[in-house]
Amino acid sequence: MIRTLNFAFVAITCVVCLGVYRTAEKARVEQVEMTTTRAEILKETAALNVLGAEWARVTEPKRLQALVEHHLDLTDKPGRALTSLSELPLKNPPLAPEGDIRSIKDVVPQTPLPQEPAAVSQPAPNAAFATTHTGT
Amino acid sequence: MAKRPVQPSLVRNRIALAAIFSAVCFSVIAARLVDVMVLGAGVTGAITPVIVHPMRADLVDRNGVLIARDLPVSDVYASPKVFWDVSEAAHGLAEATGAEEGRLLAAFAPKRGYIPVQRGLSPDRREAVMRLGLPGLTFEDGYKRFYPSGRIVSHAVGQVDTDENGVSGLELGLEKHLKGSKDGAPVQLSLDMRVQYVLEHEMEEAQHAFNAKATAGLVLNVRTGEVLALASLPDYEPNARTLSPGDSIRNRMTQDVYELGSIFKIFAFTLAIEEKTVRLDELINVGKPLKLGNHYIHDFERLGPLIPAAMVFAESSNIGTAQIEMRSGPTKQKPFLKKLGLLDPLKTELPEMASPLYPRHWEEVEAATIAYGHGISVNPLSFAAAAASVVNGGTRVRPTFLKDEKVQDGERIISEETSRTMRQLMRLVVTDGTGSKADVPGYDVGGKTGTAEKAENGSYAHHLLISSFCGVFPISDPQYLVFIMLDEPHGNKSTGGFSTGGAVAAPSVGRVIAKIAPLLGVRRTDTVAAANP
Repeated sequence: MIRTLNFAFVAITCVVCLGVYRTAEKARVEQVEMTTTRAEILKETAALNVLGAEWARVTEPKRLQALVEHHLDLTDKPGRALTSLSELPLKNPPLAPEGDIRSIKDVVPQTPLPQEPAAVSQPAPNAAFATTHTGT
Repeated sequence: MAKRPVQPSLVRNRIALAAIFSAVCFSVIAARLVDVMVLGAGVTGAITPVIVHPMRADLVDRNGVLIARDLPVSDVYASPKVFWDVSEAAHGLAEATGAEEGRLLAAFAPKRGYIPVQRGLSPDRREAVMRLGLPGLTFEDGYKRFYPSGRIVSHAVGQVDTDENGVSGLELGLEKHLKGSKDGAPVQLSLDMRVQYVLEHEMEEAQHAFNAKATAGLVLNVRTGEVLALASLPDYEPNARTLSPGDSIRNRMTQDVYELGSIFKIFAFTLAIEEKTVRLDELINVGKPLKLGNHYIHDFERLGPLIPAAMVFAESSNIGTAQIEMRSGPTKQKPFLKKLGLLDPLKTELPEMASPLYPRHWEEVEAATIAYGHGISVNPLSFAAAAASVVNGGTRVRPTFLKDEKVQDGERIISEETSRTMRQLMRLVVTDGTGSKADVPGYDVGGKTGTAEKAENGSYAHHLLISSFCGVFPISDPQYLVFIMLDEPHGNKSTGGFSTGGAVAAPSVGRVIAKIAPLLGVRRTDTVAAANP
């Protein structure tokens, strides 16, 4: 019994040793991969830094102005011509609350449509129709 | 022979030994497990990559636009003794690096030594050199400071030396910030590159139009003290290590002091209004030159003889201003100018700051001339800071080049009422006085013109002027101050031959305001009035 236990302990020890070795090796491989990835990130970061500097160079206002003057027909606009969206007047006034909406008949006087000849079927004159129904 | 029975004590000893052995083994294994899995020993260290960060952090403007950055570069050296064909190597290296082929050929000819081929190679040029496949090349990696905007911010930002140490401008003034930045986080400046460009562009136009010797200008937030733009012409290319003909590294906004002339009347009137020594509707006699000791004080053009005090300011009368100043006298004028910071060197992140020059004996005559900006020399940035303190409600503003949108809680210098009155007077200068060319409809510009004669050979030269304009907008609730100064401008047809501040500097300030006000989100006063009838 004791001998069996001894063998079992030795076997377990060997298995654990193998496990530790495997873990250590896995960690080492991952460390190498991480190092490689980190080096690549550094390289890409350096490249991005260079690109960022180049972008700042090509979008420099003086250069852009020279390009615009050469290629586009734009002029300096005085501040008066510039505004923000919030300052633009609305094309149509805001809608009234629902309770205040009245029938179009209350607002626009109803003009009777001209009498159509009984024999000839023709649409109503456009102008009269539009005036009556759009309220313009 | 009969087998001898094993004694029980021996069995127990063996079991104990086995148990101790197993315990030791497991302890070692457990310790190693902790070591590997928790502490991570044995696999790190030796293969940890060496991370080389740039020596200095980026400089960016208030909107994150890049102003200065360290870029990876390489210095390449050659050992010509291993070249098979020296002339072919020199030709290839010259093409790839931009070095002079003749120099390389001459250096390689003895076929010995260690020859520097080119410094500061960009990554793509380094690749080109690598593609040559030449033996005997050595690269030394490093960084070089790059300024994408070039000349535009050269004076404010300054430069570094070849060892990446700041030698001028904010590169020197912010050395600790730039070298001590954690994780290479950028240092954000108060400058706005859009505003900087507009200011520099208008200054260039004015310098060219009026054939001026030099120009200087700035845009300052009067509440936070942030400098949005600062320029001085002529300037220089910071990416080149040498100056081209006509370039100047002198920052005229901070390194030089000037007698700024009538623009100083802002402070004379501020003191008079604060001390209540003048009423704006009071009539002042400006009909004849004012005699002080052996000196006569004249006006640029004949006014009066009797004009209201407000028009003395608007029409920039030296005679009237001197009379008003003399009511306060030197005993009040000197401490007042000191409170405004005009008698001490200004402290900002810019290290190049000239000290003011003022008379040791400050008597009546000195007080009268200082009232209209002669007899005292200050750098333009100090003047702008003092003017901002007058218009912002009356609290001291200290200019800063670091982004800080917090309204400064400076010491009170004048009352809010005096500040309001001064703003009205400055508006009067633009609507009815000498600064009419600075007006921008919708932005209610206020300001003051200045025209000073330069001292030459011990006397003032009438033809050598310092012409300036200090504009503030919107004057009802000031946000920004724009200052432009021209050194020795020459009037042209458009100004009727005049080279005064109102003729040559005010229009430029007006154009700067017209362009930057929408960029900075300043609402037009006419739309504000329409929205809040």
